Amino acid sequence: MGRNLEDLLIFVGKRMLELLPVLLGVIVLTFLITHVASINPCPRWYPKASTAVLAHCQAQFSLPLTTQFWNYFTKLLEGNWGASQLGVPVYPVIASAVPATVELVLASLFLMIVIGIPLGVIAAQFAGRWGDHLVRVLYLSGWSVPTYVGSIIAAVFLAPYLGLPTSGEYSAPPPFPQITHMSVVDAILAGNFPYTVDAISHLVLPAAVLAFINMGIATRMTRASMLEVLPLDYVKAARMKGLSNFLVLYKHALRNALIATVTVLGLTAGGLLAGTVVIEEVFAWPGIGAYAFSVLGGGGQPNFDGAIAVTIVFAIGVVVANLISDILYGVLDPRVEWR
Amino acid sequence: MTQPVLSVEHLSVEYEVGAGHFQAVSDVSLVVPPGRVVGIVGETGCGKSTLAQAIPRLLPEPPAHILEGKIIFQGTDLVPVPRGKLPQVRGTGIGMIFQEPLNSLNPAFRVFDQIAEAIQIRHWREMGVIPVFHPGPTPWDYTHRPLPEPSDVLSHGVIPGVAKDAVSRRLVSRSDYRREVLEYLRLVRINDPETILNLYPHELSGGMRQRIMIAMALSAKPALLIADEPTSALDVTIQAQVLTLMKELIDEVSASILYISHDLGVVAETADDLGVMYAGRLVEFGPVADIFERPRHPYTKSLLRSIPTRYKTDWPMPTIPGSVPNLSQLPRGCRFHPRCALARPICAREPPPPLRVVGEAAGSGTPHQSACHFAEEVESQP
Repeated sequence: MGRNLEDLLIFVGKRMLELLPVLLGVIVLTFLITHVASINPCPRWYPKASTAVLAHCQAQFSLPLTTQFWNYFTKLLEGNWGASQLGVPVYPVIASAVPATVELVLASLFLMIVIGIPLGVIAAQFAGRWGDHLVRVLYLSGWSVPTYVGSIIAAVFLAPYLGLPTSGEYSAPPPFPQITHMSVVDAILAGNFPYTVDAISHLVLPAAVLAFINMGIATRMTRASMLEVLPLDYVKAARMKGLSNFLVLYKHALRNALIATVTVLGLTAGGLLAGTVVIEEVFAWPGIGAYAFSVLGGGGQPNFDGAIAVTIVFAIGVVVANLISDILYGVLDPRVEWR
Repeated sequence: MTQPVLSVEHLSVEYEVGAGHFQAVSDVSLVVPPGRVVGIVGETGCGKSTLAQAIPRLLPEPPAHILEGKIIFQGTDLVPVPRGKLPQVRGTGIGMIFQEPLNSLNPAFRVFDQIAEAIQIRHWREMGVIPVFHPGPTPWDYTHRPLPEPSDVLSHGVIPGVAKDAVSRRLVSRSDYRREVLEYLRLVRINDPETILNLYPHELSGGMRQRIMIAMALSAKPALLIADEPTSALDVTIQAQVLTLMKELIDEVSASILYISHDLGVVAETADDLGVMYAGRLVEFGPVADIFERPRHPYTKSLLRSIPTRYKTDWPMPTIPGSVPNLSQLPRGCRFHPRCALARPICAREPPPPLRVVGEAAGSGTPHQSACHFAEEVESQP
């Protein structure tokens, strides 16, 4: 049949295997770009260092590029993600930053789904009338605002009106251990209600900005596929059962229209992750986006190992998001087989 | 005389497309008495599907728009009913079977869920959990009153235990409808219903899907069933099977049915009364046998003559000259006159009056009516 749990596991396994060549390509490319862009970064990294330190650094970079790559790659395979030039290891930062970003992206996905998809249904329901135009203005204004403008407008102008904080995950350092590094989840796990509320209020604004900017595609796709589905006989048949307009739209029609939307939501993963780079920096969110900004030289020295690590994480994020959307595609549409 | 289930009075429906207005149904009046099957035939584009969908107010408004007329269902005019109340009329009141079996079942849900949903809505209405259309002379009664047995069309489908159980627990779960769903699948002659229950529509053939569509519509026990070309989209052998099924079901459930088709042969086998539509107008209405024996409208007469039969060897096959007029450029006067063999000057000048009685029907109660200036002469003409 191609639709049971076993097939799903095989499907996921295959897709995970496909991830390996993608990752290898990403590592090679990022390594080349970073190392070719600045062939001898040592004098800039250690402007006041002794000649001995400088010589040690330069010895590392004077090796042939293939040797340098092999050295890095074997290190990576051993689980050593390297360190910044100041000796700060990359892995612990990544380990705490990735969950923080996952939390932010999931929160904004949630907003995209609960706001963006119903907006698409409304637009289709009132196609060509004022409701449709209003929705179009809304999502186009989000779609056409650059992330850096949108996030700064939200942080500087909206936040004071709404009384929302604009910096970090909590107002004060939390008294409980951060097990998952997801601010809201940690607060809930600790059973600390005031901190949970505080964490959510910190999450709302960056997640809303990220959602507002990327929502357009979900709304548009939902509207388009709803318009395809609505004139079909099974929607009329659902009406003729005596179902309310709400159930006809959101159960019978949307269920089929969502198949297209889910695919497109998977494709927005790249946009969401790219958005986090600016948004996390503006809202001081300790995630992978802010880390990407810093390792690429934002406000300090570039960090080669960190840059490669961030790229790997982003690549995994995009591939996994698309895998999830492919799985959901099969869940929603019984005609699809996982293979 | 008993109150008709449905009586359509001078109904006109218009489509507003771009700058143009197209009147797809003009001044149509017809009556569906309880327990009778009324057939509507006409060429493609004559407005019969628009009529079928206008009755339960299923047409999207806009672009469609009911210009005038009444749709009196069980004594209540449906035209002024607000949109939000319309679902109360559908399902248990008016049910519908659609033309395209490939599209009429939702691809995302199993057969069981689709039929159980229809049964669940009926049960909830019978229990008074959700509001129901209360037929009666009062304009609209939205009280949560149980149906006063208007849907006793299909009594053998009820499993008293389920309904009684349902009342005690108020809301039953979907799986409790399993037995009743199986009953309806057997009713439409599906072998091995236990397996079919768990399948998705794409795993079924077109004929099977159409049977399930019929089961779904019947399971709501509608007071009026509208069948919009239920066999037209099927291939010939399946068509014959579904037609046989429809005929058997008509006898079994003794339902009031409005049967839309473009195939005179199909209607002849299923319907008691027949209406013939041409370019948005009902041109003839009467008992089927009467119309087949003595057509009182030149269009009907030409239609009957052009039915191919195995033994008729006329060559070339008789056809009606010309083609159906575009609804935006209807001819003046009688809409059929450019193609009519009987046309006289008055036909091009004056539209004929809407249906008038031209002959007494033998015993059936429905008078034979025609919308031709010269209805009395049609029979004597060659």
